[in-house]
Amino acid sequence: MSRPFKPRVSRRFIGSYRPRIDAIEKAHGRARYADDEASERQYPGLLHARVLRSPHPRARIKRLDTAKAAALPGVRTILTYRDPEIAGLKPTNAGWTDAVDTVSYDRMMWHKFRDRNVLGDYATWAGDEVGVAIAADTEIIAEQALRAVEVEWEPLAFVLDPLKAMESGAPIVHPQIAANNVLPPDPIGGPDVFLTKGDVEQGFATADVVIEMDTSHHNPTQASLDPWCCVAEWKEDRLTVFSNSYSADQTRMHISQMLEMPIHKVRIISKYVGGQFGRCDTGDQPFFLFTALLARKTGRPVKFKHTRRDSFHDTRQGALYHCKVGATTDGRITALHLKSIGDIGAHADHSVFALKFAPAEIAEAALAPVPNLKMESYAVYTDRIPGCMMRGVGNSQFNFIFGRMIDGLAERLDMDPIDLARKNFGHAWGVCPDPSLTAVLETGAARIGWAEKRHKPGLGPLYEGARKRGVGFSLHPGWHAEWQEERRGQVQAKITLHPDGTVTLDAPTVETGTGSNTCNVLGCAEALGFLGIRPEDITWVSTVDTNNGMRDCVQTDSAVSFLQSEVLAVAAEQLKQKLLDLAAPALGVPASQLTVAGGQITAPGRSISVKDLLWQGDLVPLSVMVSRRPSNKKTGVPYIASFAEVEVDMDTGRTQVLKLVIVNDCGTVMYASGAEAQQVGGQVMAMGEALTEELIYDPVRGVPLNFNFIDYKIPTILDMPSIEPVLLEVWRGAGEYGACGIGEGTVSCTPRAIANAIYNAIGVRVDELPLTPDKVLRALGKI
Amino acid sequence: MSENTNLSSLTGAAWNSRERAETDSPSLSAPASQPITICINGERRQFEVGRDLLPTTTLSAFLRERLGYTGLKISCDEGACGACTVIMDGKAVLSCMLLAVEADGHEILTIEGLPEDDPVIEAFAEQCEPGHGTALQCGYCTPGFVMTARALLNENPTPTVDEVKQALSGNLCRCGCYAGITRAVLHAAEKIAARGGCP
Repeated sequence: MSRPFKPRVSRRFIGSYRPRIDAIEKAHGRARYADDEASERQYPGLLHARVLRSPHPRARIKRLDTAKAAALPGVRTILTYRDPEIAGLKPTNAGWTDAVDTVSYDRMMWHKFRDRNVLGDYATWAGDEVGVAIAADTEIIAEQALRAVEVEWEPLAFVLDPLKAMESGAPIVHPQIAANNVLPPDPIGGPDVFLTKGDVEQGFATADVVIEMDTSHHNPTQASLDPWCCVAEWKEDRLTVFSNSYSADQTRMHISQMLEMPIHKVRIISKYVGGQFGRCDTGDQPFFLFTALLARKTGRPVKFKHTRRDSFHDTRQGALYHCKVGATTDGRITALHLKSIGDIGAHADHSVFALKFAPAEIAEAALAPVPNLKMESYAVYTDRIPGCMMRGVGNSQFNFIFGRMIDGLAERLDMDPIDLARKNFGHAWGVCPDPSLTAVLETGAARIGWAEKRHKPGLGPLYEGARKRGVGFSLHPGWHAEWQEERRGQVQAKITLHPDGTVTLDAPTVETGTGSNTCNVLGCAEALGFLGIRPEDITWVSTVDTNNGMRDCVQTDSAVSFLQSEVLAVAAEQLKQKLLDLAAPALGVPASQLTVAGGQITAPGRSISVKDLLWQGDLVPLSVMVSRRPSNKKTGVPYIASFAEVEVDMDTGRTQVLKLVIVNDCGTVMYASGAEAQQVGGQVMAMGEALTEELIYDPVRGVPLNFNFIDYKIPTILDMPSIEPVLLEVWRGAGEYGACGIGEGTVSCTPRAIANAIYNAIGVRVDELPLTPDKVLRALGKI
Repeated sequence: MSENTNLSSLTGAAWNSRERAETDSPSLSAPASQPITICINGERRQFEVGRDLLPTTTLSAFLRERLGYTGLKISCDEGACGACTVIMDGKAVLSCMLLAVEADGHEILTIEGLPEDDPVIEAFAEQCEPGHGTALQCGYCTPGFVMTARALLNENPTPTVDEVKQALSGNLCRCGCYAGITRAVLHAAEKIAARGGCP
């Protein structure tokens, strides 16, 4: 029943169904990850680091005695907050970038929110890395040494709930940054009311219908199977860090600036990464610093690896949204007011990105036809696990209210929500109704059986005595189109054509599983079509090493796959010119009279194969390295949508998802199997955060209770329904391919689609994620 | 690394003092220099408890750190994710939940011991059937899934979709390739049948 995608433009390699380029290596278990490399075999004399984690949600270290720990055999060194190399470190934060490029300390994106003191004496969540780091011969000894450290804590009053944190008299998490726990306005996010268009009060006054609603998105965690791991090694005054960071260049800048080292003396290497999903925002985690300092102090390589519990390290920010919307009886929205309160946890990191920057971008892209708009947000510190990026930044939280608003308003107006959406949303540079939005909604509706299965809320038939079924959907503007990536700055790639006609492709980006590596190779083969080569003739450089002189394209925004392919299209043209310049003297005519196709260079009356040309020379490869800034041509964005069919057990409150349809307008599908893997695969994360995944805190002690894979419930193969991935090419962006990232967006709409489907099934709303049975039963008045 | 490498090279999060204390019982505290024999990927190998491993060394840490079989991964280290799955005497087992000494006298198969043309590996690598996505993305969970599927097909070379899902329900894939994995296991079964039933 699934139908293969049909490309708008037929190409040789781009858009094909085929295995990933790393599939054989990975299926054999031969792909090597940081934890595989960071062993005694590769690093003789390797030491193992552990760091003290606060057992309290808020506490200060009053007294510290490391004598017993230092006396344990096998303990090599101990660093504490009192040591000058730690105490002298500048306060930091995420944001060694002003979006996704690399910046220096003084240009950090959130320089007003530098709330991380590396190994400081003040803990702001249970799990915070504070006070002490130890390097020892084994991980056991390091752990035992940590337990032998005598710490006298001064437990402090704490707050876990963002609403309570906003009350006067609440304990203040970072007084020097946020006097009332609410992050102050900043140059990038703007003031509390960060977006105003028209006059919402006027718009509500002219509306026939005004409704209000609230939603709550919790904070699920990325749960990459590959825990953070790094090994730091010094040779003289040069530092090499091998890690599973997904942003080598930013990691280098972070270490260079924080340890005050020249850039050329810091080398960062990343290889395969076992899932990233945005964890820890960017390459700026404090553990890079204390691991490097432990290695410098001991003169030996030092490994730091998270345990599974440690890997519960950051989350998608929880967010409460309130929405007030007014519309005329014919379904035109006259005014929309959205207000959010974000639970950012103990560190600000990129929270303002999620709460202000991304919603403003969504408004620009999707809410352009709404005449009166007001958006405000409050990012609130609590003593909980920090929030950060997680497969999108702010989009899932926004979508949970956005899709609720569409469904609720349509019901009030007695309209089909699909019609309401088409009438009101689109982008500023296109037409309304938006063709992309129309296509994703109509396709999704057809595939889920919208017209047949939808009924009045709660009024469908009963199945097996106690079960009710319903359908729902949600839509979202896709991201990131090329113009939204302009902030990324130069994207670099290098093509090397060897004398035998084969190619080495260095399109630096860390391979985190997204499939961009395969897109790169397909894009390279496509662009080098004039050489007559196949993807198999191209070697993709799988290791990112800052010593190669190029900046890696950070694995964020799902944008790497098409951004690098656009660069490769330019590089291929330059390579072609170089080749013709080389051929001109050999064929005795000016390069302008030469053409090259299918691996053959042709002059009037004569020709030579590329391979013969290169093989007769001095066997120096032809190389082209291109740096290109993404096009800023405002092309709008395409749309994405999830449609869900659910069955709710009215006795137990359990929701079973029967079917999901995931529709992405991609502009151009770069690699069909990879895109479908993202669409289908994203639903594990999306369904987990919708139904079963939840970080549970003890409200009395303020400590987390389920930082493990037994009690934090990630869907298994048995939990997943039938999923139909649908790839469309309707919208078109700038450039050779005009594609758009899709990976992150595959999770954004599904929780709301499921919530709307539950409402359609049972006739009462559950608007607080996760949609667990107790909440369903409470909504039904059964408990 | 020679087999006489100091125990300090052996790591593993399971080796914390809590678990050491809990497992410090007479039955598990083998006397120093007690030999054990494990058949690993068809080769019988002798190790000395106390020299090559501790009584508390998990099988996963031993295989990875001591012997270099890094195909299996230690992701949760508490039996909840399946990334460390190996085959012991024909059955899929979680190597983080076994002590290495418990493998004494048993046959262990790691993913490195599967042949180059193993049908399960081939099927996982090849999966690109439209509508299901690939059978792997980041690849971290893949060796665990391959070994679990391998054990299933050894016992049941023609499983139904439901049997495949039941067998693989202890393995987590955060990239979410379950649909592609299911297809891959069914394709592996077809490959086995096409090879005359030889796994």
